[in-house]
Amino acid sequence: MSNRMSYFCSTIGRKQLIGLTGIGLSLFVLTHMLGNLLIFVGPEAYNKYSHALVSNPAIYIAEAGLLLIFVVHLLLASFINLKNRFSRPQKYAVASSGPKKTTWIQKTLWHQGIIILVFLILHLITFKFGTEYLVAYDGKEIRDIFILVRMAFEDPKYVIWYIFSLIILGLHLHHGLASSIKTLGFNHPKYEPKVNCIAKAYAWTVSIGFITQPLYFYFFYKG
Amino acid sequence: MSKKLDSKVPSGDLQEKWTKHRFDMKLVNPANKRKFNVIVVGTGLGGASAAASMAEMGYNVMSFCIQDSPRRAHSIAAQGGINAAKNYPNDGDSVWRLFYDTIKGGDYRSREANVHRLAEVSTSIIDQCVAQGVPFARDYGGYLANRSFGGAQVSRTFYARGQTGQQLLIGAYQSMMRQVDKGNITMFSRREMLDLVVVDGKARGITCRNLVTGEIEQYAADAVVMATGGYGNVFYLSTNAKNSNVTAAFRCHKKGAYFANPCFTQIHPTCIPVSGDYQSKLTLMSESLRNDGRVWVPKEKGDKRHPNEIPESERDYYLERIYPSFGNLVPRDVASRQAKFRVDEGRGVGETGVAVYLDFKDAIQRLGKDAVSERYGNLFEMYEKITGDNPYEVPMRIYPAVHYTMGGLWVDYNLMSNLPGLHVIGEANFSDHGANRLGASALMQGLADGYFVLPYTIGNYLASTELNKVDTNHEEFKSSREEVTSRLDKILGVKGNKTVDEFHRELGKIMWEYVGMSRSEEGLKKALEIIPKLREEFWNNLSVPGEQNYKNSELEKAGRVADFLELGELMAKDALDRNESCGGHFREEYQTPENEATRDDENYCYVAAWERKENSGKPDWELHKEELTFENVKLATRSYK
Amino acid sequence: MAGSSKQTLKLNLKIWRQEGPNEKGHFMEHKAEDISPDMSFLEMIDVVNQQLIKKGERPIEFDHDCREGICGMCSMVINGNPHGPEKATTTCQLHMRKFKDGDSIVIEPFRAKAFPVVRDLVVDRSSFDRVIESGGYISVNTGNAQDANTLPVRKENADLAFEAATCIGCGACVAACKNASASLFVSAKLAHLNLLPQGQVEAEDRVLNMVAQMDEEGFGACTNTGACSAACPKEIKLENIAKMNSSYAKAKMKSRS
Repeated sequence: MSNRMSYFCSTIGRKQLIGLTGIGLSLFVLTHMLGNLLIFVGPEAYNKYSHALVSNPAIYIAEAGLLLIFVVHLLLASFINLKNRFSRPQKYAVASSGPKKTTWIQKTLWHQGIIILVFLILHLITFKFGTEYLVAYDGKEIRDIFILVRMAFEDPKYVIWYIFSLIILGLHLHHGLASSIKTLGFNHPKYEPKVNCIAKAYAWTVSIGFITQPLYFYFFYKG
Repeated sequence: MSKKLDSKVPSGDLQEKWTKHRFDMKLVNPANKRKFNVIVVGTGLGGASAAASMAEMGYNVMSFCIQDSPRRAHSIAAQGGINAAKNYPNDGDSVWRLFYDTIKGGDYRSREANVHRLAEVSTSIIDQCVAQGVPFARDYGGYLANRSFGGAQVSRTFYARGQTGQQLLIGAYQSMMRQVDKGNITMFSRREMLDLVVVDGKARGITCRNLVTGEIEQYAADAVVMATGGYGNVFYLSTNAKNSNVTAAFRCHKKGAYFANPCFTQIHPTCIPVSGDYQSKLTLMSESLRNDGRVWVPKEKGDKRHPNEIPESERDYYLERIYPSFGNLVPRDVASRQAKFRVDEGRGVGETGVAVYLDFKDAIQRLGKDAVSERYGNLFEMYEKITGDNPYEVPMRIYPAVHYTMGGLWVDYNLMSNLPGLHVIGEANFSDHGANRLGASALMQGLADGYFVLPYTIGNYLASTELNKVDTNHEEFKSSREEVTSRLDKILGVKGNKTVDEFHRELGKIMWEYVGMSRSEEGLKKALEIIPKLREEFWNNLSVPGEQNYKNSELEKAGRVADFLELGELMAKDALDRNESCGGHFREEYQTPENEATRDDENYCYVAAWERKENSGKPDWELHKEELTFENVKLATRSYK
Repeated sequence: MAGSSKQTLKLNLKIWRQEGPNEKGHFMEHKAEDISPDMSFLEMIDVVNQQLIKKGERPIEFDHDCREGICGMCSMVINGNPHGPEKATTTCQLHMRKFKDGDSIVIEPFRAKAFPVVRDLVVDRSSFDRVIESGGYISVNTGNAQDANTLPVRKENADLAFEAATCIGCGACVAACKNASASLFVSAKLAHLNLLPQGQVEAEDRVLNMVAQMDEEGFGACTNTGACSAACPKEIKLENIAKMNSSYAKAKMKSRS
C-alpha cells in the first residue's frame, strides 16, 4: 500500500472544501441580495432590516463563521491555484480551439476570485465601515445605511465598478457552482443538464439582483 | 549435419499429457523462488501475463518493453475476440472440438500435444481475465456473451466490443503493475533488446539499449523469456505497429536458437488498401464485415466507372461465384488469394487498382441502415476517418495485408528453444497455429503460454538445471556489449545516401511481390538473389543521422531493418524449400486446377527449424526437421466449395 | 474518392524542438510540401523527416506505434488541441484532408510537470504507470479464479465499466486540462474496476491509493471544465470524475488511517 495523505492535503479534499465553502458563500450572497431588495420598498424598511441584522447578538457568530468560510475558500483556492501552476511549468504557445476549447470563463476562475476579493474589501470599507449617518424611526435612532448606499451610487465610477464586480461574481458562480456540485460527487447524466441550468440561473439571479440597485439609484431614484 | 529435433512431448494419452506432465515436472521450493531471476522481454499478452504470473509465484522478474509503457504492446490492437472451449452457449463445443478446429485450421502443420494443451487451458484464461475485471460483453442476464468468429461452427469467441486485445492486455498489464508495486517485478520501459547473452551454452542475460539515454545496459538472469511478437513488418506495410520488429528474436537466432517455419505468414483479407507511397502502415478491419458485406469487382478489366454506376449485371461477386456454399465467408487465406487474383487480372478497383469492393448496399436494403450501423458503425467510422469515403453510400475498398506470422523461434513442449534457458512465448514462437491461424486464437495462445504454461515449465527448468552464478562482469557479457556497440557504430558509420525507410520499403516490396500471398519457385529464387544485394547496399549506402547517446529513432529503425534484411532471405529460403501449399503458404506450382492449395503430407509434414550459420561473412542456414505425427486426427483436405 | 485525383497541400509547420529533458526547447519552422490529403498526420511528419534526413538535418522525434488509434503512444498538441482538432481522434487517425493548403500548424508536446519532455515531441508518461501501480488492478493471482459465469454482472454496469476501460492512457486529458489534472484518467480506471463486483473488495483502498499517487506525481486539480473529455480520443465521460470524488470522500471518512 502506498502512502496516504490527509484529506485536507489531497487535491480532491481541498477542492471539496472549496466547493462546500463556495456553496455556503453562494447561499450568503443570495440572502444578502434578497435583503438588499428591501431597498425598493423604501428607506425605512431597508434601514430597519439592516438594524435588525446588526443588533442581533448572534451577528458576531455569524460574521465569524462567514469570515472563516471565506478564508478557507480563499486559502485553499490559493493553494490549489499554486499547485495547478506548478503542474504545467511550460505553457502552450497556442490556446485550444473548436470542440476542444476551454472557455475563458473556466480559465479565469482564479482571477475572478481575486477581483471579488478586492471588491469585497472595498465594499466593506464603503458600507460596513463607512460613515455612520443616523436616522430616527419611532423615536429610536438607528444607522441610516440607505443614504450611504444612495450617495455611493451617485458616483458613476463607483456604479461601473460595482456592476463590473457583480458580473464577475456572476461568472464565478456560473462555473463555480455547477463545478462544486460535481466536485462534491454529484454528476448523473439524467440530472446533470438540469442541475447545470439551475446553478447558472442561480448565479445570474444573484448577480442581476445586486446590479438592479446601482441602476435604480443612478437612473431612476428621485429621492 | 541435420539434427532431429526432440519436441519433448510427454508420453501418454493426448488428453492426459499436460496433467501428467505437470505432475512430473520438478518444482522450485517456495523459499528458493525469489533467488531466481527471470528476464521477460516484451509486455504484450504473453509477456505481461508471464511476468505477472511468475512474480506472483515468487520469482524475481525483470520485464522489458520498447514502448514508453508496457500497456502499449501491440496485442492491444487485436479487435475480434478470444476463443475458449467454455460451451456457455450450449452449442456442442468442447476442448476436443477446439483442438480439432485449430489443428485443421492450421492445415496440419502444428504439434498435436501443444494444440490440445492450448484448448485445455483456454477455459481458465476466461476465468482469470474475468476475475481481473476484463469487461467482456454480457447479455441482459449478466452472463458472458459469445459470438461465432471466422466461420467457426460454434460460438466460442468472447469479446469486448472491438477492443478485446486492449481489454485483455490491460488486465495482464494491471496484474503486472501490481507486482511492480510489490517489488517482484522491475520494469524497464523504452529498452530495446539488442543481444542475448549465452554463458556455457545457456541463455543467461540480455544486452539492451536504453532508448532515452542511448546507454547500453546489461542484465543477467537464470532464464530468459522472449515474448517479442511477430515479424510481419518485414513486409514494411502490415497491420503490425510501427515498432513491432524481429530484432530481439533474431538476435537469439544469431546466438543459436532455431527459427521455425518462417514462411508461414498470415494475410488478412479485410484491410484498408494502400493509398500512396507515403503509406506507413495498413489498418485491419474486423473480419466480421464479411458476414454482411459482399465482395465484388467489375466484370470488365479496367472499368474505371464509379462503383455506384456499375450495374448489377456487370459486377462479379467472385467469392459467391467460386464458393457457392461458403460465399463471402471463406477462410482468410482463400479470400485473400482470390482478391489478389482479381487484381492480377486487371480487375482491381480504386485509384490504384489494387483493391476490391466490399459492398453493404444489399445489407442496408435488407436490414436497414440502423441495423447495419449497430453492427458495424464503429468500423464504418474508422473507414471513413482514414479514407474519407462513406461506406453507407460508396462500397468499401479492401485489400489483403500481412497480419500475423505463425512462424517464430522453435520451442519444445516446454516452450523452451533449443538454447537451454531461452523460452519463447506467444506470436514469437511457432508452435500452436501451424500454417494458418484461426480468428480469435492469437489472444488465446499468448495468454495460455503466459498464464498457464510457461510459469510451470520454467520452474521445471530452473529446478532441474545446474546454474552457476553469473553476473554482468562475465566475459560473455563483455563481448556481447562490444558486439552491440560496434554494430551501432557500424550503422552510424555508413553515412550513405538512402534512408532507413527507403530500404525498408524496398525490402517490403520484394517480400510482398515474391514471398507474399502467393509464391513461385521462380519468384522465390529471384528474391533470394535480390535481397542479399539490397542488404549489401544497405551496409554501404545507409544514411542514419545523429549519434548513439540520446533518443534516435532512425538508429533504432536501422538496426531492425538490418535484421529484417536477413530474415527476408530466410523466409524466401524456407518458402522455396517447402514444395507444397499449406495454410498461409501458397506455392503456385502446387495447386488444383481450381486454384486450391495442395498439401504434401508425405514429404512436408514437418516443422522446418533453421539454424543460422555464417558462410564467408554471409548468412547461411541449415535445416533441421521436427517430424509431425498425428495420432488423434486424420489429415484431410480443406474444402469450402 | 475512387477515380478523382487530389491536390497536394503545402503547409507551414512550427514544431517544438528540444534536445533533451534538461535542455531548453524552442520552436522551429519546417515546410511540408507535396502533402497528400489522404496522409495521416504522422505520415505527414514522416515525409518531413525524410526530407530533413536528406538535407542532413536532425529529424523530429515523436512517439507513435500502432497508428490505428488504440495503443495511446502518439501524443502532440496540434494548434493548441491535443491530438488535433477532431473529436474522438488520435493524432495517428487525424488525416490531412482536415487541413487546407497553406495552413500554418503549430505542433507542441503534451505539456505537464508529470509528463517531462524526453526529446522534441516525445514525453515521459511513466507517471500514469505509477498511478496504476498504486492500486489500478484487482488482486487476483493466476489460478485463483472461479468459473467466469459464477459472477453475473448487471449489463448496464458491465457496459459502463467497459466504456471507462476504453481509456488508452495517452494522456490527452492531462494535456488538455488547464491545470494538467489526471482526474479523467484516474477516475476512468476507478470506474472500470469499482463498477464490477470483482473490484468491490479493494474499492476503497484503490481510490485512496490512486488519488494519493496522482497528487504525488504533480498533476493539478480538477475544475470540471470538461476539456479532458472533449480531448479524449475515446470520449471517456466526465461523470467518472464525480464518481471518484464521492467515493474518495466516503472512503476517507471511513478509513482508520
